[in-house]
Amino acid sequence: MIKLENVSLVFQGGSVALSNITTEIKEGDFVYLIGHSGSGKSSFLKLLYRDTYPTKGIIDVVDMEVSSLPKWKIPILRRKLGIVTQEPQLLEDRTTFENISFSLEVLGYDAKEIDAKTSTLIDLVELQDNAYKFPYQLSGGEQTRVAIARALASNPLVLLCDEPTGNLDPDLSIQIVSLLEKINRAGTTILMATHDSSIVNRRKKRVLELSDGKLIRDETEGTYV
Amino acid sequence: MNKLSYVIKNTFINMRRNPLLVIATVLAVLVSSFLVFTTLSGRAVVQNNTSRWQNGVHVVIFLDDRVTTTAHKQLQESLESYPEVRMVDYFSKDEATEEFKILFKDQPELVQEVDFEILPSSLRVNLNNPSDYTLIIERMEGNPAVKEIRASGEAIERLLSLTNTLVLAATVFAILIAFAAFILIINTLRLTAFAKRKEIKVMKLIGASSTYIRLPFIFEAIFESLLGTSIAVGLGWGVIQYSKDSVVAESIFDITISDGYLINLTLGLILSSVLFGFFASYVGIRKALNE
Repeated sequence: MIKLENVSLVFQGGSVALSNITTEIKEGDFVYLIGHSGSGKSSFLKLLYRDTYPTKGIIDVVDMEVSSLPKWKIPILRRKLGIVTQEPQLLEDRTTFENISFSLEVLGYDAKEIDAKTSTLIDLVELQDNAYKFPYQLSGGEQTRVAIARALASNPLVLLCDEPTGNLDPDLSIQIVSLLEKINRAGTTILMATHDSSIVNRRKKRVLELSDGKLIRDETEGTYV
Repeated sequence: MNKLSYVIKNTFINMRRNPLLVIATVLAVLVSSFLVFTTLSGRAVVQNNTSRWQNGVHVVIFLDDRVTTTAHKQLQESLESYPEVRMVDYFSKDEATEEFKILFKDQPELVQEVDFEILPSSLRVNLNNPSDYTLIIERMEGNPAVKEIRASGEAIERLLSLTNTLVLAATVFAILIAFAAFILIINTLRLTAFAKRKEIKVMKLIGASSTYIRLPFIFEAIFESLLGTSIAVGLGWGVIQYSKDSVVAESIFDITISDGYLINLTLGLILSSVLFGFFASYVGIRKALNE
């Protein structure tokens, strides 16, 4: 599903974000990408959804050669991925329902499909009581749930989550991870960047650890050391 | 279909965000297009008129009545032998008198007081190419039978030169205003894009294509440009209709301009406004999309 071969990312000015990364994530995996701030987690994810491109190496995501992907094909790649950022990036002037249906509208669904699918996604993230609330009326955890529901609108093969629990307290973080596990059980591959040791240690999943841009650990049932 | 409704809906949502800028943009496009329309129409009218005048008499050679009519006749024959000359008409003193009476029939006092003896006979020359009038003047100068030479070509050239200067000035002015309109459109779109930066970011993450994100902005720019140009063209047609019935049209100018020319001009301006809006939107939104 995701394959990196000798991937390096060096920024202008010479600072190394990622160095010679080789790894593979299979379909249906749930993988934690861990490491301290500045270790290269966000850069790793950005390479996968082609927000940036590698200085060297080959990246293959959902059968698309991302490292040499022409600009016009980026939307095609992203429709196969769900992306959740640390800041939920919700549209402040729209309700939960509208924030989710916005994705479907952009993806070209018709009105009936949008209504039905939005309701299903709201049920999935358990926000039925908050469907017509605006983002400022939601807690941090609820906002993250909306962002996850929106990312799932395109039925993605892979969900890339960049520190989705970064701003949440431990209980809410566990709820979000539980939700992601539910989504994973339904068949979606999940790669979640986090530096939250409690989550990683409680839910033993595959762990990829980055340090100074290098992949220093790859464990099937890893912990946050 | 759903995508199209999204684009149209968002075009008008975007425009509602900055109504004053939208009005300013439409007005700037309107003034610029109106200037282009009226300038080009005006030039066409002048060209029609000058062309009509040029088809008439190009050089009038007033004859010295102290020389014999034989000399006048020889002069006519010599003129007719020039390859540049199409036709030469002899206009006698009597004919000049009749013409004077017709021209000044509304001023009987003048007609009564004038001594018609002073009106000279003349040769009225029609040239194959009106711009050759200088050759005729050169050849006739110093001829004892010639009293004075007048060429309509000089007046026409002066008029055309004046018209060209006016057209040039109006064109420069129109370009300046069009440039202002261009900047206004870019500014409006950039403000909208800034207000919608989060929405654009989300759209990019979801997998919306650049074209799809760009479309509401393109539609907005084209709509503003088209609206301004359409009003300007409508006003331009109105001005031409009004001018046709005006005093100027009855006295000096014949305000005739073919519908074909006006339709072509209208279509040209409409097409230009679409391209103008498209290009302005491309420049305006490019930065927002690359961020």
